[in-house]
Amino acid sequence: MAVHVAAHGADEVDHLYAETADLRLTGFVLFLISDVVLFSSFIFAYLYLRHSVPQWPWPPGTAPLDTAFAAVNSVVLFGSGATMHFALENWKHGNRSKWFGWLIATIILGSMFLGGQAYEYSHIQATWGGSIFGASFFTLTGMHGFHVFCGVIYLIILGLQTSQNVYTRQKYFGLVAGTLYWHFVDVIWVALFFLFYLL
Amino acid sequence: MSISLAQHHHPQGIDGHIHQAPTSFVRKYVFSIDHKIIGIQYFVTTGIFMAIAGLLAEVIRTQLLSPNAQFVSPDTFNEAFSVHGSAMVWLVIIPMLTGAFGNFVMPLQIGARDVAFPWLNMASFWMFPPAGLLLFGSFVIGAPQAGWTEYPPISGPQYGPPGTTMWCMAIFLVGVSSTLTGINFLVTMYKMRAPGMTFTRMPLFVWAQMATAILSMIATTALAGALLALFLERVFGIPFYDPARGGSPILWQHMFWFYSHPAVYIMILPAFGIISEIFPTFARKPIFGYKAIAFSSMAIALLSFMVWAHHMFTSGLSPSIEVAFMLLTMVIAVPTGIKIFSWVMTLFGGKIHFTTAMLFAIGFIITFLCGGLTGIYLAAVPVDLHLHGTYFIVAHLHYVLFGGSVMGIFAGLYYWWPKMTGRMMNETLGKWHFALLFTAFNLTFMPMHFLGIMGMPRRVSFYVNDPWFIFWNELASIASYAMAGSFLIFLYNALSSLKSGALAGPNPWGARTLEWQIPSPPHYYNFKNIPAVYSAPYEFDKPLPYGNLQDELDDSKVPPQLLHGHGEHAHAGAH
Amino acid sequence: MDTSLIEHLIAIVGGVVVGGSAVVALKNDWSATGLDGNVTKIMLGLMAFGCLLAILAAFGVLGNPISKGGA
Repeated sequence: MAVHVAAHGADEVDHLYAETADLRLTGFVLFLISDVVLFSSFIFAYLYLRHSVPQWPWPPGTAPLDTAFAAVNSVVLFGSGATMHFALENWKHGNRSKWFGWLIATIILGSMFLGGQAYEYSHIQATWGGSIFGASFFTLTGMHGFHVFCGVIYLIILGLQTSQNVYTRQKYFGLVAGTLYWHFVDVIWVALFFLFYLL
Repeated sequence: MSISLAQHHHPQGIDGHIHQAPTSFVRKYVFSIDHKIIGIQYFVTTGIFMAIAGLLAEVIRTQLLSPNAQFVSPDTFNEAFSVHGSAMVWLVIIPMLTGAFGNFVMPLQIGARDVAFPWLNMASFWMFPPAGLLLFGSFVIGAPQAGWTEYPPISGPQYGPPGTTMWCMAIFLVGVSSTLTGINFLVTMYKMRAPGMTFTRMPLFVWAQMATAILSMIATTALAGALLALFLERVFGIPFYDPARGGSPILWQHMFWFYSHPAVYIMILPAFGIISEIFPTFARKPIFGYKAIAFSSMAIALLSFMVWAHHMFTSGLSPSIEVAFMLLTMVIAVPTGIKIFSWVMTLFGGKIHFTTAMLFAIGFIITFLCGGLTGIYLAAVPVDLHLHGTYFIVAHLHYVLFGGSVMGIFAGLYYWWPKMTGRMMNETLGKWHFALLFTAFNLTFMPMHFLGIMGMPRRVSFYVNDPWFIFWNELASIASYAMAGSFLIFLYNALSSLKSGALAGPNPWGARTLEWQIPSPPHYYNFKNIPAVYSAPYEFDKPLPYGNLQDELDDSKVPPQLLHGHGEHAHAGAH
Repeated sequence: MDTSLIEHLIAIVGGVVVGGSAVVALKNDWSATGLDGNVTKIMLGLMAFGCLLAILAAFGVLGNPISKGGA
């Protein structure tokens, strides 16, 4: 979110910015919580449906999911979370070039995750509408993948914005929001990886 | 607690943070970011939707005037009650209590200049009329017919009318609007209270809005999940609720009611807040049990997530689960009872002014209490097994939603009308409105208890040719027409007040909360100087507990930064 | 080397590296205050937990028997 730097004195703008950034942070965290509820309702649906049939995957004869591949893909995504953390740390310390480096690494890893999901989708035996197995798996991981995709777009935008000096070392709420969103997407995947591949 | 006048940490700042006043008609009244204008936009839109949904109710009552009437076909009857219920819940009661009352009153009561995210507020509003168009527009291709609860498989791809998909989209859209409003309000109430306004010095209407905003934020997204799944099943054939492919209709019921039970508390908590404001003002007494009322609102919000399956007692859940939900449902009656007790004790020993607002508030206590008591009967599983799906439930829900929420809405409308418009309503007309509405309401819905106990099922367009069934149904239908007529009294009163009502002045009721200390209607900037707050507002025997309000009513004293705005700031609204 | 072994190795090594950096970052930020500081700490902790799950999955301790190669 662009912040227009006003013609007034730096102090006044800074204290106004600090107050409004505080509001925006609270609002953004509340938004993330409501997004968690959205995933939770589908996770409930998945667990309910899974519990209502005697075996999983359903129907019997469906091949199980590839846990090893998913473990690798998960590590890729978690890695992108770590690189995003380092990116923001570097921004806070004023290292623009390191910010860009770690940001690009995050974007690459995030895109690799999406590629991995695409590979997984094309190799799975189930279809989206074929049974409750496909329904719950594709809907949940699809919703998550969509969130990752939006996150990658957002990170690209943040990269472009920082290259145009929209943010400063003091005023960078957009970068905080992007980092929190990326971690949120990461954490949802922890839950989905556990629920689909390890349960 | 001493008030630090160094308000640098406060989002308003000593010098405030003021937008330039908008000048064009479109920015002032159509795409406004002023919470007061947005509140009025919600009032007008929900009013229109209420009229349409009310007409649908009259279609229902006209069909039920006689046991085998041919007024409408069974399918049309189904469409009527489905859209009536959906519209009343999602397009009238929830938006009116949160978007309309919450938007107009809450920021004024906390001493703020606006909500935390004014542009988001405007976006939330503008999602709302399209949602209404989608819902009512579903009649064109075949409106939903499975009630506002839309259980599959009747709502599913095989049996559901095409308009059910529009219903999904409409409710999803209004749900997004509601969730964003909840987030907006929560941040506002958490971060933008005037200096000195600790949580226990907030007006009780604000406490109610806070509990409601938490529910709006968390529960509504759960509904979005259920609606999305139904949409996917109808449009793309993805099996969630289809038993043939492993799905379960019970899953819909769980997902739907997990939201919809908190939703009924979204529909009543703001009304509770309105009553908590009106009673001290018109009894000239401090509210009895401020902390009890405040904390019971939060307790109700928390407990509301734990009782949803009491709507599912006949769906085949295991008895032990049903007992657990039965007990939790009975527990949630306790904080509500505490509130009713506190309100009644507020009146006790007070000097009561029977204004129209007060009459509606007292009427609320009577009719909501009735609805709450029938709720406790229904909480008992053995009773509910007989009464589920009968007119007893229709009676119960209308006593709490009409006798509760709508009575609260009218009480709030008569109370805050002078503040919103600067004009007084005609009190005589208002009292006639109350008398007619209260009588007609009870004559319409009290008989439905008897009909339910006698076994009349809901959502069916005909009934048994029995003298008592006919008598009670005829009485209910005729009284419902009187109810509709009473709305016309209100409409006439409102329009003539706007045209030529007496000027109101800042505080016609002698109330003590912050919104009454500024002109009616408030200036676009709300307060010339952000007030300081020293205690809770309801101590009628003490002086007003505010500082910094000396210039509010003197228009020659506008601080310079308000005259010039912070015009040099190229402020995007989403600052 | 078949794909399955490569997958196992990447999962384990990656999990250790990423999880390790998450833990180190968490340790460094332990005293952070404020909403974003605390939320970041929670996120890093959950990320480390996720890496632990991936490692345990790769060792076969958790989860369904891992299939050989692509599904």
